[in-house]
Amino acid sequence: MVENTKSIDRVAGLILALGMGFVLLPLVVALVTATQAYETVLTGGLSWLPGDQLLVNIARVFEETALPGQLVNSFVAAMLVATLKCLFAFMTALAIVFFQIRWGGALFALTLVTIMLPLDLRVITTYQVAADVGMPVNLVLDVFGIGPLMRLSVLDTWFGLAAPLVAHGTGTFLFRQAFLAMPRDLPRAAVMDGAGPVRFALDILLPLSRAPLIALFIMMFLGGWTQYLWPLVAASRPDMQTAVVGLSRLANDMPGAVPDYPLIMAGALVVSAIPLAMVALLQRFIVRGYALSEK
Amino acid sequence: MLALFPQRWLAFALILPQTLLIALFFYLPVYLAFYWSFTLERPFGGGSEFVGLQNYARVLADPEFWRSLRLTFVFMVIGSTLAIVIPLILALAADRHIRLSQPARNILVWPKGVAGASIGLVFVFIFNPFLGLLAPLNAVFPGIWNPRIDGADAFTMIVVAHVWGGIPFNFVVLLSGLQAVPQVLHRAAALDGAGPWRRVRDVQLPLIAPQLFLTFALEFTESVTGAFGLIDSMTEGGPGGSTTLLVYKIYVDGFRGYDLSGAATQTALLMIFVLILTAFQFLVLERRVRYER
Repeated sequence: MVENTKSIDRVAGLILALGMGFVLLPLVVALVTATQAYETVLTGGLSWLPGDQLLVNIARVFEETALPGQLVNSFVAAMLVATLKCLFAFMTALAIVFFQIRWGGALFALTLVTIMLPLDLRVITTYQVAADVGMPVNLVLDVFGIGPLMRLSVLDTWFGLAAPLVAHGTGTFLFRQAFLAMPRDLPRAAVMDGAGPVRFALDILLPLSRAPLIALFIMMFLGGWTQYLWPLVAASRPDMQTAVVGLSRLANDMPGAVPDYPLIMAGALVVSAIPLAMVALLQRFIVRGYALSEK
Repeated sequence: MLALFPQRWLAFALILPQTLLIALFFYLPVYLAFYWSFTLERPFGGGSEFVGLQNYARVLADPEFWRSLRLTFVFMVIGSTLAIVIPLILALAADRHIRLSQPARNILVWPKGVAGASIGLVFVFIFNPFLGLLAPLNAVFPGIWNPRIDGADAFTMIVVAHVWGGIPFNFVVLLSGLQAVPQVLHRAAALDGAGPWRRVRDVQLPLIAPQLFLTFALEFTESVTGAFGLIDSMTEGGPGGSTTLLVYKIYVDGFRGYDLSGAATQTALLMIFVLILTAFQFLVLERRVRYER
């Protein structure tokens, strides 16, 4: 900084300490409570003294609840969201930027509109579409007086959990920016050397877009994992629900005046362990992902 | 656009998967919401009939709808402001390159890895009137804090959890804006006698206007829809509907009340609300943002 301002730096340090305290507070409460016995919480309430029941509570999460299977659902759905999103967005941006298509601009604009109206907003009708993905065909058939062909539902499937989240324009936007920022002569040189579109995409474009690709993948994985409203309605069978939904159902369905907080907190730790570890360890990609989304 | 490759069919194949998904899971649902708002939909696929503006008349005459819309608006204003001002203060502090800056830049992003619906459960425990952090306060002043009975307490609780979840994105974006402010400007302003506070106001804030605009633009939409997980895990819309934001009311009407037409009509109205908000931001606010440095 410019001048020697010890007192201001001290205030800044205090602010940062408070901020970190605020972020860590619920995480520490969850961790400490997960180590206690139900009776301790019932009589003493929230306490900062760690108990010795952590492994017991975590074992109960895995034995007494449906969360283990739901963790698998979360993982598969988040991987599906991230993989499909990266792949399809890369393909679309490739076509828009490097191919001679006249309607590229219109297509891009129509893709960007999706950013303005998030899935949570249109969940009612998206649910109806997911319950009958042949709806467009059926609507056309209906005009000609032919009855609906069949109802194909993707509810209670991994694909159904992931697909509506993939129908979003951020990735396309991101890749388009990355492609346009590359030197113009690069693709021209590749074409001159006889590279076709496939070779160009795989051997030149893909390695050069590694950084935004990884950032997008991580962001989409985290988004898919922590999604709530869509998986809540898209999966009605407990064995198809995601872990975040399962945990919330577990807490809501608990009998008695005081829920089994140690079990819930242990569940919250189990459910958040994978994404939280990713955030803490893959920090720089997340910062990069955020930085890309602002351009 | 560079338009290097002439292969039409390949280009078509490349855009097909994502375009199909967007058509099916974005444009069709948006269309359906507006279409259903003009029809009476029977649950379980029992057919539908055109009813004109009847659904709108019914929704707009419903005081519950107006209450939810007002709560959505209040939440948007209070929630987004706090969810930006607090990360802004943290970013200003972290930009001073003190010892705590490095750990803060890591830890403040952690909420990104925790679902709103999960952290909501933890906050419910923290804010529990008899077991939580404020229980001692209740012992001294009985009934001063009870989010299960007092709507304002419940609303506060959700705002706190919302701010918690909003820290990562807003902090990272605002800090990256602050770090891009050239040191030369700081020195020049300091030479001219501007103290640290003056520099925040007259150098840093104007220069991060694009980042502030971006965080506000995204935070507004996020606060309209993103509170669902918090509401469902913390208050379920209560007590007495005092935390039933519109996004939660739509869910309850549509999935528990099977009032598809009413839910679709409210969806249509909420979409219009969000679109007007977005248009307002880009037409009015963004003009005041200068991008060049």
